[in-house]
Amino acid sequence: MMRRCFVAFAAVLAFAAGSAWAQDAVPVGAIEILSGPNAAYGTAIRAGLDLALDEINATGVLGGRKIALTVEDSAGNKDQAINAARKLIGRDRVIAIIGPTLSNEMFAVGPVTNERKVPIVGTSTTARGITDIGPYVFRTSLPESDVIPVTLKKAMSRGVKTIALLYANDDAFSKSGFDVMKAAAEKAGLNIVAIESFGSKDTDFSAQLTKIKALRPDAVGISALVEPTSGVLLQAHQLGFGRETLFIGGNGANSPKLGEIAGAAADGLIVGSPWFIGKPDPANQTFVADFRKKYNKDPDQFAAQSYDALRIVAAAIDRAGAADPGKLRDALTQTKFSGVMGPFAFTAGRDPASTEGVVVLEMQGGKFAIAP
Amino acid sequence: MPVWLDNFLWTYQNLVHALGINGLLALSMYVVLAVGQLSLGQAAFMGLGAYSSALLTLKLDLPFALVLPVSCVAPVLFALAIGTPTLRLSGVYLAIATIGLGEVLRAVYLNVDWLGGALGLSGIPLRAEFWMIYGLLGAAILVLWLVGRSGIGRAMEAVREDATAAQVMGINLARTRLGALLASAVLAGLAGALGAHSSSFIGPNEYGFEPAVTILSFALLGGIATPLAPVLGAFILTLLPELLRGFSDLRLVFNGVIIVLAVLFLPEGLFPLRMRRRAA
Repeated sequence: MMRRCFVAFAAVLAFAAGSAWAQDAVPVGAIEILSGPNAAYGTAIRAGLDLALDEINATGVLGGRKIALTVEDSAGNKDQAINAARKLIGRDRVIAIIGPTLSNEMFAVGPVTNERKVPIVGTSTTARGITDIGPYVFRTSLPESDVIPVTLKKAMSRGVKTIALLYANDDAFSKSGFDVMKAAAEKAGLNIVAIESFGSKDTDFSAQLTKIKALRPDAVGISALVEPTSGVLLQAHQLGFGRETLFIGGNGANSPKLGEIAGAAADGLIVGSPWFIGKPDPANQTFVADFRKKYNKDPDQFAAQSYDALRIVAAAIDRAGAADPGKLRDALTQTKFSGVMGPFAFTAGRDPASTEGVVVLEMQGGKFAIAP
Repeated sequence: MPVWLDNFLWTYQNLVHALGINGLLALSMYVVLAVGQLSLGQAAFMGLGAYSSALLTLKLDLPFALVLPVSCVAPVLFALAIGTPTLRLSGVYLAIATIGLGEVLRAVYLNVDWLGGALGLSGIPLRAEFWMIYGLLGAAILVLWLVGRSGIGRAMEAVREDATAAQVMGINLARTRLGALLASAVLAGLAGALGAHSSSFIGPNEYGFEPAVTILSFALLGGIATPLAPVLGAFILTLLPELLRGFSDLRLVFNGVIIVLAVLFLPEGLFPLRMRRRAA
């Protein structure tokens, strides 16, 4: 009797524990740069994540369980990013990590999460080789190798045949963007007449630009962050480059700051973007309206990317049927999603499969608009 | 080992490694400050150690037991090459010259494609073990402590306090300073190799001006009264950002405030206790 009582008691306990477990929030982590010089990117990403979280938790995943999102700061530092990943996996027992912000951080963090078989989804890591780290490393950000060919195609439709390339050779982002630009230009059959480089903190580009001007290329491709790109455009304007030369920006030029810094000198520049605030589809318009309501400002590309990424992860958790990192990984590979960036699926290599969402933008009067 | 302990160790593995590695870097700063030289080439030495060790592992797949000692070779050769000309400088001029050399190396890493360029080197296997890092750190503290108590230690202190007087007393200035610089290069080279093999990625910007200043701050916070002091300084500065995670957005502010207060109120460093020496 005693024994049967005990069994019944244990069963009740187990049941109670089980159902309490079912009501537990599903732990998901994120690692972003929230302090230091690059905090602007991380805060935009967190804003996108929080907005997505509100929406997801209104209905919940796995039949009503909420997602508990823990966002850790990396301060843009490789060691702190690794510490954050180990803390999220070891202590918070997250089943997936979103981030980190920079490709360099991903090269350090990816191997750690991959070792523990926890999926990690980069939303802003565009460098080559990210998903080669291991089978648990995904990214939703289109690598530049997908965006730049679309931009070049637009340039060629405007009669561009020769191009000069100009890039910052001292940061990973710009260098990797240049490699892609060069390969894409060769593949598209453009004639590369000059390749010039500079340092990200340089303020004088006249030597490079004078040389390029003498060669009279149809277009000039620039791979650099927004500040040096603006500097190049301002100086090109002073040196008398006219509208007959088409300036083509890499991903770094895809920032509203370009118009703020370079003003009219930036007019006519085209850049490919995985997202644009003025995209007319209803999903995007709702996102922009919701974002403005919550934060009283306009979303940027990074917020849009992270907004989609968390919703992709949430949908995958539902399909996995359990809060389990291994099942989540398998579910992620089967993703078929339609978000503010357009239709989304992963390739076999866990990169974004579709470039349908890419829009080519043109600077007009200091603001971006969809290129005609 | 119980699961929770295993998990705990895994969670803090990188932090524990970083503590030991930064301890070695603090010591590499300590040995040059101990002879009164404000030489800021430690980050450059560390970079040379990191890059040479990473290349040996990635390109030749040599065993780590061999890679680790070999990784000191490049920094030592570099120190020998720059030692004689730069050690004629002193004070802030030496600091500027050594920072400049670090920037030159950074430009080399950036422009040589074979060294990964701006993309750095990734996929370095995690081969640095807890016992290697702390064994080397312990050995380094012990050796520096014994040297500090010996006649050489007195000579170093004399050079630091008054170089002219020390020279009059028959101390070979150039040899003492070059010796300190070489020791600094060995320690930083080891730290670089261990760092590269405990984080799987290295890039050129990790060995520029900013880390040089961070390493200096380890020694400034701890003080240089004993070899243990800068190591404790490094431990505190490495732990602080992790301990302050709770403050989220404001943690770098707290970090800065704590350092400023420490420097304002404890100009001799947090641990000014002096080494005991036997009466001569």
